Amino acid sequence: MATDSHNPKHKSDCALAPSCDASVIDASLRAPLTVLITSALIWLLVAGTLSVVAAWQLHTPSFFNNCEYVTYGRIQPAQSSVFIYGWGFNAAFAVSLWLMARLSRGALPGCGVLLLGTVFWNVGVTVGVGGILAGFSTSLASLEMPGFATPLLWVAYALIAAWSFVVFRAGRSQQLFASQWYLFVALLAFPWIYAIAQIMLVFVPVRGTVQSVIQAWFAGNLFLLWFASIALAAIYYFLPKLLKKPVSSYYLASTGFWWLVVFGSWAGITRLIGGPVPAWVQTFGAAATFMLLVPLVIFVLNFLGSLAGNGALLKDSYPLRFITFGVFALLLVLLAWVFGAVHGFAAITQFTYFTAAEAQLGYYGFFTMVIFGALYAIVPRVFATAWANDALIGVHFVASAIGVTLVVGSLAIGGINQGLQLADASIAFTSVTSATLPYLFSASVGCVLIAIGQLAFAINFFWTLANASACCVSSVKQLLSAQPEATR
Amino acid sequence: MNRAPFLFLGIFLALALSFVGLVLTNQISYGAFLTHVDEGEGKAFPLQAPGLAAQGKLVYQDLGCVSCHTQQVRREGFGSDIGEKSRGWGERQSVARDYLRESRVLLGSQRIGPDLRNFAARKNADGTEHTASALYAYLYHPQAVVKTSNMPAYKYLFKTQPIIGQGSAKALKLPAAAGHEVVPTARAEALVAYLLSLKDTYAYPETKNVYTAPAAAKTQPAKESHK
Repeated sequence: MATDSHNPKHKSDCALAPSCDASVIDASLRAPLTVLITSALIWLLVAGTLSVVAAWQLHTPSFFNNCEYVTYGRIQPAQSSVFIYGWGFNAAFAVSLWLMARLSRGALPGCGVLLLGTVFWNVGVTVGVGGILAGFSTSLASLEMPGFATPLLWVAYALIAAWSFVVFRAGRSQQLFASQWYLFVALLAFPWIYAIAQIMLVFVPVRGTVQSVIQAWFAGNLFLLWFASIALAAIYYFLPKLLKKPVSSYYLASTGFWWLVVFGSWAGITRLIGGPVPAWVQTFGAAATFMLLVPLVIFVLNFLGSLAGNGALLKDSYPLRFITFGVFALLLVLLAWVFGAVHGFAAITQFTYFTAAEAQLGYYGFFTMVIFGALYAIVPRVFATAWANDALIGVHFVASAIGVTLVVGSLAIGGINQGLQLADASIAFTSVTSATLPYLFSASVGCVLIAIGQLAFAINFFWTLANASACCVSSVKQLLSAQPEATR
Repeated sequence: MNRAPFLFLGIFLALALSFVGLVLTNQISYGAFLTHVDEGEGKAFPLQAPGLAAQGKLVYQDLGCVSCHTQQVRREGFGSDIGEKSRGWGERQSVARDYLRESRVLLGSQRIGPDLRNFAARKNADGTEHTASALYAYLYHPQAVVKTSNMPAYKYLFKTQPIIGQGSAKALKLPAAAGHEVVPTARAEALVAYLLSLKDTYAYPETKNVYTAPAAAKTQPAKESHK
C-alpha cells in the first residue's frame, strides 16, 4: 500500500474514479477469469440439470428411481454441492478477484499458482460430487461432500484466495471502499468456518448435538459471511458505477457492515429453534437474528436510496437489472430470516418447503442474480469486447427472473400451507403430502425456466469468449501466458 | 474503517467471538454431559445401537434419507409432534442426551416424509407394531402400500433369486416370475434393523419436568405417567 496521489476525496467516489491502469489490471486477469468463469458456468449447467431432476422427483417419485445413483436422496445433495462449491465458489472467486484488483488498483503479477488452485478446486468438487452420487455423502447439509475430497478444496482455496490479498498489496490505493470490507470478511471467514466444520464434524466428530450447532453455525455463516458478503461487495461496487452517482447514505455502510458481521455470525443457529440443543443457544440465535434488522434498514437506505428515481436506467442496463433484482431478494431473505426467529412462525414453517424457498431466494434470487449482473459488467471489460448477443441476455434475465419468482413463490406459499396442515394433526400426513403437489409442480416449471436462462448465459459467454480470442490471441497457450509488461 | 490492519483485527475478533461463544462453549459444556446410568435397569442410557442397526445407519446416510426425514421430536405446543391432538410422533420431546452416542447426528431439516426419531416405538394406524416384513414391502414399492406416498421406491435394495427348497422366509409377498422370489439384500436388512432401532422412550430426569405451555398444562399428569 504505497502512498500515492490517487485518493479521491469521498470514499464512495473510489469506485467511480477512472483508473489510469484499469486496462492493465483487466488484461492481467484475463487468463484466470477465463478459467474461473468457464468452470463456474459448466458447474452451473450441471446444477441446473440436477435441480430440474430433483424438483421433478419431488412430485413424481417414480422419475429416475430404478438406480440408486439417481435417487432423490443423492441427487439433492449432489445438486446442492455442485451449485454451492462448483458454481458459487468459482464465480465468487472470479468476481472477488476482479473487484479487489480494480478497487486496490493492483494487477495480478502472475497466474500459474492461481490456475493450479482452480484445477485443484474443480478436481475436488468433481471427486466430492462423484462421492455423493456413489453413496459416500456425509448427510450434513451444505457439507455433503465426503472427507476424502474436502482437504483438497481447502488447499485449493488457499491457492486461489491468496491472490486477492496479493493484488490488494500490489495496489496503490490507500482508501478501503465498502466492497473491500465485505471481500475481506468473506475471504477470511471461509477457511475458518470450513476447517472447523470439517474437523469437528467429519474428521473428529464432536459429541451429540454439538454437531448440529456447528452445522447450523457453518451453514448460516457460509451464506451470510461468504456468499452474501461477496454479493454485497459487488452491489456496493456496481450500483454507484452503473447509476453514475455515489451510494446514498454511504456513511451508514460501516455500521451495517459491522452489525452484519458481529450478529450475523451468530444468526445461523436460529434454524435449531425448538430442537434438542440448549435453550440459550436458541435464544442467542433468535436475538442475533433480530439484530439483522439493522443492516436490513441500512441496505434499504443505501441501495433503494440509490435506486430511487433512477428507474429509467434499468431499461438500458442489463447488469443493473440483475443487481436490482438481487437487492430486492436480499431484503426479502433477511426479512425471512427475522421472521424465522419468531417462535410462532418457526413452529409452522420449520421443516417445510418454506425453508427451501428461503434458501433458493438467498442463493439464487440474491447471490446468483447479483453475480450474473456483475459478470455482465466484468466480461466486456476483461475481454475488451462487447457481449456477442444482446437477445440472449434478455432471455437470460426474463427466464431467471420469472423462474426464481415462480420457484420461491410456489415453495413459500406451498410451504406455509404444508406447515399449517402439519400443525393440524387431524389432517393425515399423506393428505399434507398430496396438497403440496401442485406447488411442487409449478416449482419444477420454474426450475426449467431457470435452466433455460443458464443455457442462454453460457452460450453467450462462450460465444463472446470465442470472439475475444479470435481477435486477440491465436491459441489457448498464448491466452494463458498473456501477461502485460507493466505488471511484472 | 480505512486502515486494513484494524479491519482485519475487527473481522478476526467478530469471528472469534462467534466461534468461542457458539462452538467452543457448547463443546466444553457438553463435555460434562454423560450417559444416564439407571441402576434399576443396570444400563446406561442412551443405549448403544446394535451392530446391524449401526450398519443400517450408514445405508440411511448413503441413500440420503435425511433429505426428507427429520429425526427430532419437538416439544409439546411447538408444532404438533407430541401431546394432545398431535401426530404422536414420540412419547416425549427429543433432548440433547438422546444423541450422545451418535457419531453423526442427523436432525434433518425437511419433513417431506414423517419424522423418524421414534419410529420403532410408534404403532401403525390399526394399532399393530411396525414389522420388518411390512417395511420391506414399503421400501420395495411404497405406492403399492400407501397409494398417495411420495417416497421413491428402493427396488435396488432387493434382489430376485430362484426359489431353492422352501424359499426364503424373508421373501416379499409379490407375484414374482415363476420359480423366483424377491428377497432383501444385506443393505435392506441393515436399514430396516436401523429403522426398527429408532426408539427414544426412556425418560431422563430432564424430560420429566419440561415446560408446558399454560393452555396444555392439564396434560402434565398424563405425561408423568409415561414412565
